[in-house]
Amino acid sequence: MRKYLVIGLLAIIGYFLIGAFAEIPFGANRIGDPAAESTVSGYYLNNTVPKTKVANVITAIVVNYRGFDTLGEVTVLFLAVTGLGSILFRRKEEGEADRIQLSASPLINSGAKLLYPMVVLLGIYVFIHGHLTPGGGFQGGAIIATGFLLMMISYRDFKVSHGKLAWVESLAGITFVTLGFWGLFSGGTFLENFLPNGEVNQLISGGVIPVIYIAVGLKVAAELIGVLDTLLKIKPEQR
Amino acid sequence: MVITPVHYIAFPLLAAFLIPLIGKINRQAARIIPGIVLSYLAFVSVNLMIEVQSVGFITETLAGWKAPWGINLVFSKFSGLLATLISFMGLIIWAYSFNFKKVDTAISLKYQTLQMMMVTGALGMVLTGDIFNLFVFLEIVAISAYSLTALYRNRDGAEAAFKYLLIGSFASAFILLGIIILYTQVGTLNMAEISVRMVDVSIGMKTLIFTLFAVGFGIEAEIFPLNGWAPDAYSQAPGPIGAAFAAIVVKAGVYALIRVIFTIFDLDVASEFLIYAGFVTMVIAELSALRQTNLKRMLAYSSIGQMGFVLVAFGIGTQTAVVGALFLMFNHAVIKGLLFMSGSYLVYDTPGKEINALKGIAKQLPIVSFFFALGAFAIVGLPPFAGFWAKLWVLTAAAEKEMIMLIVIILLISVVEIVYYFRVLNKLYFDKRKEGVEVIKPTVQAFASMSVLAVTIIVVGLYPDIILGFLKNASDTLMDKSIYIKNVLGENMN
Repeated sequence: MRKYLVIGLLAIIGYFLIGAFAEIPFGANRIGDPAAESTVSGYYLNNTVPKTKVANVITAIVVNYRGFDTLGEVTVLFLAVTGLGSILFRRKEEGEADRIQLSASPLINSGAKLLYPMVVLLGIYVFIHGHLTPGGGFQGGAIIATGFLLMMISYRDFKVSHGKLAWVESLAGITFVTLGFWGLFSGGTFLENFLPNGEVNQLISGGVIPVIYIAVGLKVAAELIGVLDTLLKIKPEQR
Repeated sequence: MVITPVHYIAFPLLAAFLIPLIGKINRQAARIIPGIVLSYLAFVSVNLMIEVQSVGFITETLAGWKAPWGINLVFSKFSGLLATLISFMGLIIWAYSFNFKKVDTAISLKYQTLQMMMVTGALGMVLTGDIFNLFVFLEIVAISAYSLTALYRNRDGAEAAFKYLLIGSFASAFILLGIIILYTQVGTLNMAEISVRMVDVSIGMKTLIFTLFAVGFGIEAEIFPLNGWAPDAYSQAPGPIGAAFAAIVVKAGVYALIRVIFTIFDLDVASEFLIYAGFVTMVIAELSALRQTNLKRMLAYSSIGQMGFVLVAFGIGTQTAVVGALFLMFNHAVIKGLLFMSGSYLVYDTPGKEINALKGIAKQLPIVSFFFALGAFAIVGLPPFAGFWAKLWVLTAAAEKEMIMLIVIILLISVVEIVYYFRVLNKLYFDKRKEGVEVIKPTVQAFASMSVLAVTIIVVGLYPDIILGFLKNASDTLMDKSIYIKNVLGENMN
């Protein structure tokens, strides 16, 4: 009975949502449309490259126009890690639990060793070039974390130092907020771009945008690695 | 250094990222720094409140892009009032948490950071002028609230936190979906500009967006039937966090709902929704409170009931009613804060937090019991206390609109409140204490923070004019959305 009620409810919600989405012109071309100039998206598309010299408009939106949101999102991740740490924290007398005892095959072992530096390098590449190519801090950080995950599941004695992760995480976060304050104190507003913009498509361009994205990348990487390690270390009976 | 609203967000974030590093040098830092930051936020509040009274409206652009291109913060007489309330309550709860039970020991030095971030998130929700930014700060509040609920790491706490997590994620998904659909219709995320462009949106779309927002924010604002998480979370979370839920988290949820309704949608459409939703919430929650045997669950249901009352008052929608609603929110933050703080010491380590275990405890904990009694008197609305004035304003507003049924129900509900609060007081003062039961005396900091709240309740009760001026200004600012639009968009208005 309850099952049918739920299905009925979902059907009603679905009906209205489909009706709404059918009306929305997704994917319409807004770049060449002069009428779109007055909307926010039109403004971004027409003004980002000349004003901020950032080739990837999405990065400009994420880090500059809506940088405050990104600061908030980084904080959400930080809080999730902090919360996880405080809930899954084990006291010393409970004993430090090892990761689950699974031995990986030699194939995975050597493959992981080969791939690990490349994956990390790719992650670094993605967040350093966040203002030029698709991708950025969050994506690059996640890629780096997958490299570490690969090592964690291949080698059970692969240890990451939570102390070092905490350093990276904190320093990256501090960098982000400090750059924000710098904008505020150098006569502008919080998070304002105070560095010279340079030329479009150059690695060093876009003022603070790449700097912030590198900080975000390192922070996300450190946090996700911390999450993976904390979760993998849960004792079997705690699962 | 000029004080601007962004200090509310930037300093706590800086502190939160610094704490893990300073904590390596001195473990006490993780407890002290949040207090320093929260004191500074209270100082910022006072400064900005003084400034806003003379200039009328403070807006701040971020990242150098004017609204609608960038994100802006708005410290109006309305949002400023709530920001001030939240920052002061945050500071008081920090002081109360000091050395509270297991919360503030070496095991959970992260507690203070999470509590500070919960306050920051709520401040961000109140101050932001951008609807997606509102969502981001809601996430900050929610994520800290989930982990704080589970902080004791026992079975019930985990269950409560998991339930809260599921329902909260549901709320986030609904709000995000609502924002996406809204953006496709108006092409902007700035609330002032949305408000301008909302006239072009079809009524069907408006209804859909409103429903999504009402469900999403309704969960945070504890509207029936979306409040299933609340009693568990309130009773399982550490005592100070119960107070923070009532004083901070719910306030931010109600603010978001009210901001969306008053600024983005027309009140006429939404006012019936507010009245009915608030009404049902109030009646069901207060009747549930009557049946509770667990003190904290009783307070939680009472809290939900009060929020229902606030929504009814906003729904009536006249100036008098909005002043009453804001007064109720102020009262609820202060009084429910005091009730949770004193209640936490009354039921300190009793397993079920049973009201029956409190027999005659007033002899052992006279001052804590007095605080609880004061809170109970104030919240049910007995004349010399703060609660009375708020109820009077709302009842007057209802009478002006000739809503006789509503008045009758509100008065009947007040009787229900009196019954369940006085039942507890009766146990506290007039029952015989079992021999040899240990009680815990409050710490100095907890005692000080409870005293501050108690004094506030008494002073505001005797001289309500102290805050009425602020409340009236706030309600004027809230109700006239053209002020908001003009001040936020300025010359950019199109």
